[in-house]
Amino acid sequence: MAYYGQIAINILILLSLSVSLNLLLGYAGRVSMAQSILFGVGAFTAARLVLPKLTDTYNANVSGVGYGMGWPWWAALLGAIVVTFIAALVISLPAVRQVKGEYLILLTLAFQLGGQQVMTVWEAVTGGPFGVAGIPAIKIGSMSFSTVKADSTVRFAILMLIVTVIVIAVCWGIGESPFGRLLKTLREQESVLPSVGKSPIRPELLTFGITAGIAGGIGALFAFSQGAMTPVNFGLDLSILIVSVVVLGGVGNIFGTIVGAIILGGLDPILSNTVGADAIPWRAVIYGGALVVMMMVRPQGLIPEGAFRRFKKGKSTEEMTPAEAMESLSRVSATHEVGSAPALEVYGLKKSFGGLVAVGGASFTIAEGKITALIGPNGAGKTTIFNMITGTFKPDEGTVKLFGEDITGLSVVDIANKGIARSFQDVRICEQMTVLDNVAVAVPKQAGEGLTNLIFRPLKTRKVERATRERALECLALFGISDKANDLVGELSYGDQKLVAIARLLATDADVLLLDEPTSGVDPANVEGVMQGVRRLRDLGRTVCLVEHSVHFVQQLADRAVFLDQGIVLAEGTVDELINQQELADLYFGS
Amino acid sequence: MNFELLAQLTITGVVLGSFYALMGMSFGIVYQTSKIFHLANAIPFAAAGFAAVWSAETFHLPMFGAFVVGLLVAVIFGLLILVLGYFPLINRNATLLSLFLVSLGVTVAFPNLLQIVFGTQNKTLQVYGADGTLNRAFETQVYNVGFLTITQLDIIKIIVCWLVVLCVVLFVNKTRFGRSITALRTNPTMAAAVGINSKVVYIVVFAIGSLIAGMGGLFVTTEFVAYPTMALQWTLIGFIAVFFGGIGSLPGTALGGLLLGLVSSWSSVWLGVQFAPVVVFGALFIILLVRPQGLFGKAAA
Repeated sequence: MAYYGQIAINILILLSLSVSLNLLLGYAGRVSMAQSILFGVGAFTAARLVLPKLTDTYNANVSGVGYGMGWPWWAALLGAIVVTFIAALVISLPAVRQVKGEYLILLTLAFQLGGQQVMTVWEAVTGGPFGVAGIPAIKIGSMSFSTVKADSTVRFAILMLIVTVIVIAVCWGIGESPFGRLLKTLREQESVLPSVGKSPIRPELLTFGITAGIAGGIGALFAFSQGAMTPVNFGLDLSILIVSVVVLGGVGNIFGTIVGAIILGGLDPILSNTVGADAIPWRAVIYGGALVVMMMVRPQGLIPEGAFRRFKKGKSTEEMTPAEAMESLSRVSATHEVGSAPALEVYGLKKSFGGLVAVGGASFTIAEGKITALIGPNGAGKTTIFNMITGTFKPDEGTVKLFGEDITGLSVVDIANKGIARSFQDVRICEQMTVLDNVAVAVPKQAGEGLTNLIFRPLKTRKVERATRERALECLALFGISDKANDLVGELSYGDQKLVAIARLLATDADVLLLDEPTSGVDPANVEGVMQGVRRLRDLGRTVCLVEHSVHFVQQLADRAVFLDQGIVLAEGTVDELINQQELADLYFGS
Repeated sequence: MNFELLAQLTITGVVLGSFYALMGMSFGIVYQTSKIFHLANAIPFAAAGFAAVWSAETFHLPMFGAFVVGLLVAVIFGLLILVLGYFPLINRNATLLSLFLVSLGVTVAFPNLLQIVFGTQNKTLQVYGADGTLNRAFETQVYNVGFLTITQLDIIKIIVCWLVVLCVVLFVNKTRFGRSITALRTNPTMAAAVGINSKVVYIVVFAIGSLIAGMGGLFVTTEFVAYPTMALQWTLIGFIAVFFGGIGSLPGTALGGLLLGLVSSWSSVWLGVQFAPVVVFGALFIILLVRPQGLFGKAAA
C-alpha cells in the first residue's frame, strides 16, 4: 500500500505543480522555467519555519537535525506560500519594463540555475548539499501525515489528493473567470489590453505570483511529508518535466494537464521496474522526446484548449436583431455631457522619427457625434496621428484635448479610460478565444477581473459577469454577428473579424472611437456590412474618426473629412468639397 | 583590498570573460539571425567534448586530431537539430515558443542519452603522441610572472576567444554573406524578395554557432573533464552575455561577456567563488530592469 501511496503522492505533486504552471503558460502565455526552484523555495522556507527553535534543551548538533522558528505546520505552510509569491513577483518585475518572451525564459532559467547554486552553498538555510532532515510531519489531532510510516503514507496520499483537487479548482476558477479572459488576451494580443483601458501588468504579475504561491505551498507539503530533502530535489530537470506535462496535455486546458501528469508521472514506477538504475536518465529522454514529438505532430497537446467548448455551447440566447440591440445599447448613457467643446481637438501635433518628419504640426477638430475621416496619400501621417492621440507615441510637440481636457502625454491605459478607444489596421483580435470573449474583455469595470472579488464576492462576480456577457452580446447583435458568439474568432471570415474588432471598441463605452482602416482587406461583399456597422456607431451617439483609403467608402460614410499630406493638414470640410478640389484629388489619386 | 589580489582577480576575470564572450558569439550569431531561443546549443558543446575524448581513446589520435573530430561532431549535431528539429516547424510558421519547446526537449534528452551510453563517470582527455603510444592526461604549463599566475591554457583561451570574436564580427559586418544575415534579421520579407535563401543562411549560421559551441566544449574538456551535464551552465552564460551586452550587437555581446567575467571574478573578494553564477544572474536581472535592450543595444523605436 505504502509503495502505491508514494507513487500516488509523486504523481499528485507533479500534477499540482503542472496545473498551476498551466495558468501561467497556458492562459497567460508566459513560460516559466523556475517552477521547480520555487517549489524548493517553498519547501525550505516551510522547513525552517516549522523546525523547532534552538534552545538549551533542543540542541541542533546533538539531535543531528536543523533548527528553525518552531511555527505550527499551518503557519509554516502559509509562510511558504507568501515567500514564494513574493519571490515570483520579484523575478517577474522586469515584465513591467515590457520584458517579454525570450527574456522571461532567460530570467526564469537563470533564477532556476542560480537558485540551485544558492541552495547548495547557503548552508544556514538549506543545509548545503546534505539538505535538511528531521522536519516534523503534519499532525491533526493524533493523526500524522507523512511518508515515513506505511499507514501515514496512505493518509498523506489522501490529503494530497484533496489538496490537488483544490489546486485544480482554483486554477480552473481563475482561468475561466474574467481575470482569465484578461490573461488569454495578454497571451494573444497584448497591446489590446491597454487600448481598452486595462493595464496588462497587474494580471501578469499576479499570475506569476499565484503560480509560484501554489508551487511554494506544495513545496511545504512535500517537506512535511518527506521529513528530509536536499537541493537535488529541486533541479532544472523537474522544471522541464513540469513544462513537458503542460505541453503534452495541452496548454490552456487544465484537464489535459491532469492526463499529462498521469502519463509522465506514471513513467517513473514503470521504468524503475524495467530498466532499474537507468530509470532517471531514461525518463528524461522520454519526456524530452515527447516534447519534441508533440511539437512536431500535435502542437496543441493531447487535449487542446477549448476541447469541450462544442459540448457546452450553452443555452442559445434568443437572437437579437440589430434594432433591438440599438435600443438596448442606447440606454447606456454617454459619459460626457453634450457640450460646446468639440469631442477631440488636436493642436500643432509634431512627431519625427530620426530625421524623418512623420507629422509636422497637424491641427484639426473632430465634432461630436459625427463621422470624420482622415484622408490623404500613403505616408501622410494618419496612423501616426492615431498613435499620438491614443498615447502609443508621445508627440514631440502639440496638444490633444478630449472634450476640452488636455490629455497629451497620458498613458495608453489612462487615455482609453478617459474615453478614446481605437482599432488597429491589423485587426488584433484573439484567434484562440471565442467571439464573445473577444468583445467581453473590453467591457469596463468588471468585478471578476479582481482576484479579491473572485474569492470573496463570488455572487456579485457572477452577476456582473452575466451583465458583461449580455452587454457583449448586444454589441455583437448590433453588427448582426451575435449568432457567432461562441465560435472561435480564428474561424471567422476576415470581414467578420473586422466587425468583432469594432464591436470590441463599442463595448469599451468610450465616446470617441478611432478606426484604423476598417475596410482594408475586407472582400467587397462584406464591405457594406462594415459600413453599416460604422453608421450604427454614430447613430448610438458615438464620435467616430477613421483612417481610410477607399474614397468610395469615405464618400458614403463620413460627415466630414480632414485631408492630410506629409504630416500637415491641407484642408478640412465635407468629403465632396475636398474631393472636388482639383489639387487634392491630384495628390490623392496621382495626376 | 591589496593590489596584488586585484591584479590576479583581473587576470582571472579576463580569462573567464573571454570564455563568456566566446559563448556569447556562439548563441549571439544564431539568435540574432533566427530569433530562436536555441537552448540546444548545449548539445554541440557536450558532443564536442565527448567526441574528442572518445576518438582520442579509441583511435589514439593526437590532441589536434581529437579536436578536429570534436568540432566536426559539434557542427553535425548542430545542423541535425536545425534540419530535423527546427525546419519542420519553421516551414509551418510555428511560434517561437514551440521552437523553444523543441529545443528544450532535445536539451533535456541529450545529456541523459550521453549518460546512458557513456555512464556517469567524468571523462578525462588522454593525450597520445604522434606515434599513437604516449598516453597521459593533459597538463598545462603554469607561468609565474612576479606575483601573478597564469596558465598556458588560459593564454591560449584568451587568444582563441578574441580571434573568434574578431572573425565573427568581421564575417557578419564585412562580407557579402554577412550582409545577407543582417538583411534576414532586419527584414525577412524583403530579404526573401531580393533572393536571399533563408534556409541557407540558417544552415551557415547554425554551423558557425555550433562550431564555436564545440570549441567551448573542447576548452572545458581539456581544462577539466567531459561529463554529460557539462554544457548547460555555459550555454546559459552565452545567453546572458547576449542579453546583457545587447541583442543584435555582436561586439556588444563580446564586451558584455568580458564585463560579466570581470564582475564575477572581482565579486569573489566579498562573496566567495561559489557565488559567481549568482552574481552573473544578478547583473543580468539589473540590466533587464534598467536597460531592457542590453548594455550596448540600441533602444527599439
